[in-house]
Amino acid sequence: MSEFARQQAEFQRGILSDDDTVLAEILDSPREKREALFGVYRYAYGSRLVEAMRNDHELLHLYLGDETFDEMGHAYVKAHPSEHPNLRWFSKSLPDFLKSAAPYSDHPVLSDLAALEKALNDAFDGAEGAVVELTDMAGFAPEAWSDLTFQLHPSASRLDVATNAAAIWLALKNDEAPPEATALDQPARLLIWRQDVTPMFRELSAEEAMMCDEAANGISFGVLCEMLATYDDPDGAAGRGAGYLHGWITAGLLTKVSVGA
Amino acid sequence: MNVASRLPDSSAAALADRPRQSAKPPFLGFGLGLRHQHYDEILNGNPPIDWFEVISENYMLPGGQPLRTLDRICERYPVVMHGVSLSIASTAPPNFEYLQGLKDLARRVEPKWISDHLCWTGVHGKNLHDLLPIPYTREALDHVVSRVQLVQDFLGRAIVLENVSTYVQFNNSEMTEWEFLSELSHRAGCWLLFDINNVYVSAFNHGYDPLTFLNGIPADRVVQFHMAGHSHMGTHIIDTHDHPVCEDVWDLYVAALKRFGRVSTMIERDDNIPPLDELLVEVVRTREIAEKVLPTGKQAG
Repeated sequence: MSEFARQQAEFQRGILSDDDTVLAEILDSPREKREALFGVYRYAYGSRLVEAMRNDHELLHLYLGDETFDEMGHAYVKAHPSEHPNLRWFSKSLPDFLKSAAPYSDHPVLSDLAALEKALNDAFDGAEGAVVELTDMAGFAPEAWSDLTFQLHPSASRLDVATNAAAIWLALKNDEAPPEATALDQPARLLIWRQDVTPMFRELSAEEAMMCDEAANGISFGVLCEMLATYDDPDGAAGRGAGYLHGWITAGLLTKVSVGA
Repeated sequence: MNVASRLPDSSAAALADRPRQSAKPPFLGFGLGLRHQHYDEILNGNPPIDWFEVISENYMLPGGQPLRTLDRICERYPVVMHGVSLSIASTAPPNFEYLQGLKDLARRVEPKWISDHLCWTGVHGKNLHDLLPIPYTREALDHVVSRVQLVQDFLGRAIVLENVSTYVQFNNSEMTEWEFLSELSHRAGCWLLFDINNVYVSAFNHGYDPLTFLNGIPADRVVQFHMAGHSHMGTHIIDTHDHPVCEDVWDLYVAALKRFGRVSTMIERDDNIPPLDELLVEVVRTREIAEKVLPTGKQAG
């Protein structure tokens, strides 16, 4: 290892830990001790990353308050040092961290809230894609419909949450007092996407969530309708399937419809 | 990692066209750092700003509103790309994924130039997201020269490097920061972004005269000025970019104009972002001072 490389490793270790070895290679300034000057880098490291987390997770920050959020943020910084040059992706593991690290793991709503915010952030600057319009559907002959397959917009994702995190998110977003965190009997099935430039989410019924997930897997409309028939009234399955499809198209959720796989 | 396979043609003919022969970037006038808080005002009002500098990483994204807005800004204004994660002085292996992202963005933006900082941001797979200082040694200089050449070959253009604010100095430095920057610029063929606030901050922190720094930089290599604010802590200054430009830095700007001539200048505010009008006042001041100091419209260099 070169002297320069050794020095950088030492400097980095000094920032990431309390190791003061690097101070032996640093000069006092005319007005200040080297400990204080190196401390500028130490302090900036944690505060900059926590600030980035505050920006990415505004509502979780609002929910927890400054002190608890920053304490959590510094714990995350320690557990997940950044490995990507772009600060944009620094907080991507926050939902997993909150799910697994005590004391946060005792409050599953925190991980769910972080996951919802992350999904919305990802939708905000996710990849571009064409948007299927209702008029595009008129081009398909009625007999072709059972073979239609669908591709969701690249910004779309699905998230299942076990708590009322969605209701808490909505209340916080509207400057209202959030409801008490509760576990749900059945997970809430959320669909997140970007409509034009605005990130959106809505809750799906178990049936629509199934159809959405299977459509994303490339299952054709005809088979999707057969699957819907096992969820509710079989005679109304095609109508319900067409209704869900209509909703997805008007919400800008589909990027491609084709005949066959 | 096979570095050579990532680079364009390295035949003798191609090497003759290396970026060190690149033409000097043009004088763009008086600009501002683009911040999302001002998107609507800029797009709806077409404010009298000559050009914008954008933070490259803010747009190294798959899609969505940031990139769409940037496209619209680029239709109306000259744009330069300013990165914070090139980590040109890092002893870690070059990050070709990052460089490809930068190159892809440059293809979209067609910036007048691409800049970053003379610093490193991490080693051993970590990124500290800070502009970290280096010792000014021959060894470091050789390393950075070769790294700049590699990046310039990859991007197919000369880059512009900025002096950073520093809070510490290393006891093994063998030259001054300005000597390091001068030699780096000449040997690697890169241009310099002279951050006037950073010179002021570092000079105060390390106890030297900012004019010594200023006079030590070769006038013909400087293509851009940054003007920014800072936070004074009494015994040291922190480069926070969250205040208006202070009077001492305005004075240093006058000295920089006298030494470097008319150089593309911009106001850089990164935190505590005020309304656009407040920053426009500072942009106007950069222009008025330049016209007063250099009434003949003398060009840089």
